[in-house]
Amino acid sequence: MSDDVLLRATDIVKNFTIRSGGLSGRATIQAVAGVSLEVRRGETLGIVGESGCGKSTLARCLVQLMPATSGTVEFNGSTLTGLSRRRLRPFRREMQLVFQDPYASLNPRRRVGDIVAEPLRINKYGDAKKIRDRVTELFEIVGLDPAAVNRYPHEFSGGQRQRIGIARALALNPSLVVADEPVSALDVSVQAQVLNLMADLQERLNLTYLFIAHDLGVVRHVSDRVGVMYLGELVELADAETLYTQPHHPYTEALLSVAPELDDGRQSGRPRIVLSGDVPDPSDKPTGCPFHPRCPVATERCSTEKPTLVSISPGRSVACHYPRNLDETMVSHETKGS
Amino acid sequence: MFSFVVRRVISAVLVMFAISVLVFLIFFATPGVDPAARIAGRSATPQVLAQVKHEFGLDRPLPVRYALMMEHLFIKQDLTSYVNIGDPVVPQIMAAAPVTISLVLGASVIWLLVGVAGGVVAAANRGKFIDPLIMFLGIAAISVPAYWLGEVVNLITQSKLHSSVFSWVPQSGYVSPSVSIGQWALHLLFPWLTLAALYAGIYARVLRAELVNALNEDYVRTARAKGLSERRILLRHALRCSLISIVSLFGLDFGALIGGAALLTEVVFGLPGVGQLTYTSLQNLDLPVIMGCVMYGAFFVVLANMVVDILYGFLDPRVRLA
Amino acid sequence: MPESPDTTDALLEVEDLRVSFATRGGVIKAVDGLSMRVGRKEVVGIVGESGSGKSVSMYSIIGLLRDPNVSITGSVKFQGREILGLSDKELRTIRGRDIAMIFQDPMTALTPVYTVGWQITEQIRTHTDLTKHQAQARAIDLLAEVGIPDPARRVNQYPHEFSGGMRQRVVIAMALSCNPKLLIADEPTTALDVTTQAQILELMKKLQETYDSSIVLITHDMGVISEMADRVVVMYAGRPVEIGERREVIRQPLHPYTWGLLGAVPRVETKRSRLVTIPGNPVSPLNIPAGCAFGPRCAYRFDQCDERPPITGEGHLDACWLSSEQKVDLRRKIQEVTVES
Repeated sequence: MSDDVLLRATDIVKNFTIRSGGLSGRATIQAVAGVSLEVRRGETLGIVGESGCGKSTLARCLVQLMPATSGTVEFNGSTLTGLSRRRLRPFRREMQLVFQDPYASLNPRRRVGDIVAEPLRINKYGDAKKIRDRVTELFEIVGLDPAAVNRYPHEFSGGQRQRIGIARALALNPSLVVADEPVSALDVSVQAQVLNLMADLQERLNLTYLFIAHDLGVVRHVSDRVGVMYLGELVELADAETLYTQPHHPYTEALLSVAPELDDGRQSGRPRIVLSGDVPDPSDKPTGCPFHPRCPVATERCSTEKPTLVSISPGRSVACHYPRNLDETMVSHETKGS
Repeated sequence: MFSFVVRRVISAVLVMFAISVLVFLIFFATPGVDPAARIAGRSATPQVLAQVKHEFGLDRPLPVRYALMMEHLFIKQDLTSYVNIGDPVVPQIMAAAPVTISLVLGASVIWLLVGVAGGVVAAANRGKFIDPLIMFLGIAAISVPAYWLGEVVNLITQSKLHSSVFSWVPQSGYVSPSVSIGQWALHLLFPWLTLAALYAGIYARVLRAELVNALNEDYVRTARAKGLSERRILLRHALRCSLISIVSLFGLDFGALIGGAALLTEVVFGLPGVGQLTYTSLQNLDLPVIMGCVMYGAFFVVLANMVVDILYGFLDPRVRLA
Repeated sequence: MPESPDTTDALLEVEDLRVSFATRGGVIKAVDGLSMRVGRKEVVGIVGESGSGKSVSMYSIIGLLRDPNVSITGSVKFQGREILGLSDKELRTIRGRDIAMIFQDPMTALTPVYTVGWQITEQIRTHTDLTKHQAQARAIDLLAEVGIPDPARRVNQYPHEFSGGMRQRVVIAMALSCNPKLLIADEPTTALDVTTQAQILELMKKLQETYDSSIVLITHDMGVISEMADRVVVMYAGRPVEIGERREVIRQPLHPYTWGLLGAVPRVETKRSRLVTIPGNPVSPLNIPAGCAFGPRCAYRFDQCDERPPITGEGHLDACWLSSEQKVDLRRKIQEVTVES
């Protein structure tokens, strides 16, 4: 494994059994259907997708918060999947998770200082003074007043709570931070603060981010590379810049075309592709390519033959039989409205 | 929907089986207890003891004993009480059942009407005086033990004010409806009211809480935006959704009561129902009768659970998937 | 795009609306002097963050605020008629018939125990004389109009049998069932995926044409405003801080809060090195500062700002003491910074 790959996931599959209406009472849902990716040291890999695409489940499988049904995860060259809980522990310090809901991810009955100190205590970071000092340091790093360590979560705003969550994640100096929709529940102005903070922290502390979100603008802003997920599959992977200017997968193209843009004269001028139908249910996956029922350019072949993720140029992969925008010079833009 | 019902019935049958095994083990396999002596009663002769041992196969392996017991209880129905020598158990219970059913049916109609009305009125007028008043009455009714309330009612209707206000109240006891419906109802009037009081209190309080919650839900906001009257919103939207939990509560209470949980009310009012039968058999340690009453009661609780589960499926369309 | 409506043409006229709640912690001024106008066939967007009062203002207009401790003052004229102060009984003839409202979360917006057909016909029969049969037929037509496939069958299904996007369509169908002149939409697409959001917004635009109605669109998303609104009202701490034509507000904003709001949005099409942030948190309604509510967070605050600025202007209004030259100058500087990537 090359030196600059921090996390490698190979063919991750995650199935869930749920209760259903049939006589047996059970059905299997494939939330993640064979995803492979690499996260390079120091980068921010963004994963974008709509509800039911499996991005949150994937994140949890990568961080070993839940066991994958099959597939392997390697961290820094060591295989994580299949390790016992004891063996996994040193790796847990290296990978941390920041959650979406700042109102639910902090225990309301504990003081915030204790919440941030907890990982330090569990990992026997040091004596009480050392832990206290570290907590103060962490509060300062995330821009909170260290005097507030004795307050309870409900005394803080959403943005501040998210900072506390980030402080907790950074307590043990992880190298990888997986952020699962960290700003979705925040107001726009607060969202900007937290995103700027995360960018600063990445530079200061040499962090690698796996950033999961459904907001295309947010993902574009933070990511070096972006992966697009649909119904449990990774359908496109590219540098952020090229993905947004020249999407190859029809789903990516449609998604980007309908993201609401500010009417400030600097719109992209993309033709609008409004998809028909609903974002599908993972319990009801189509045959062949999962996107084919809604795809504007699908053919017979797409309903029977499932496309695999292939590299079509350096740094760009797409899972499609008919990738779009292949030849740069021949693309024409119809203005979307100005 | 059909598979939903089938699954519920199957699980009910399995639970009944498990209960019968458990009851059997409690009565017949508790270490240190001689079941033969229990069955035969306190004043049993050695011959009776031997007869019991043979009949129930007490020297045979456990599963055989279980099978024999179930056979006596259900198929042959000739399990006899040794205390009241020779009195078969099952017919005793069957004779007592209609009394309990009469008591519970009547009381349940009253408590449902009063409880639901109370809950609705309290929720519709939340914040105003009548709301805490109803809630207070409710908690008073819950706090008063049924046997005390029953005795006080008896005291007033049968002795203190019997000659004046309550001269029309008959002696305590039960009259079968086949003899006279009027007398049947009259004899049961005060037992009904006494038993209903407790439950009406609970239901009014529970329903009020559910309604107030429902009135804060998004769908009620949509209903208001539609221009519906508050009355319609309360009765057709909020109440309909809150009734679901009331119905399941009711099913369980009803089942338990039919099974003999209205013990003390029956005793206080001299009604020869299953509750009273259980009471006297406990006092006399009449094992076969106790066992029969327990099985009977358990059966109704399981049945009630099953019916409630199925009813839930009808009332709440979202549940049918499960 | 319609011109700025003149007074005679206004469908909804709000004058100095103030909504406050008396609580144990003090008086909460949720809406503090909102004046705005909605013309016929116009889409007005109200944009703001939490605590801005954008939703409360519209709830108060049609009588959806049931808190006994609320005080609502001002004037609200709908089709020339004063509706603030009407009894609930009178408001009910307007609510659901002339003014309809849809809300944010489609998953909980419908009563779970009745079919969607029942719920739509309930509204129709409350406001019209149609028979059950006729109302049912209309419900099926409405479902078809909002793009629900197989409407004759689906009209008898329960809400949980529809996906989120489909449920929002049902909600829209129900809202339009009595041909309202005004539709108030409170964050109608916030809880939906991007692709579904696009469908719903497209549907709303189409229906606005068909039904000749006006829309008040409440949202926090400037992008949605850009797609849908003709005019914009920007709110902060219960007060309007900027009102104007959409394009003017977005391309030539006049209020520092609007600058901050526009600068904080990560753009899809260009990558910015750093997002503009407004320091501090959105103001809590219990703690509205004296003078200009935005003052404590404003980078350009000066002495005059101790006094609350009135909202002034012609066509494009704003509530800021800075002079026009200062505003143009500062805005240009900010836009230069944000364009570089």
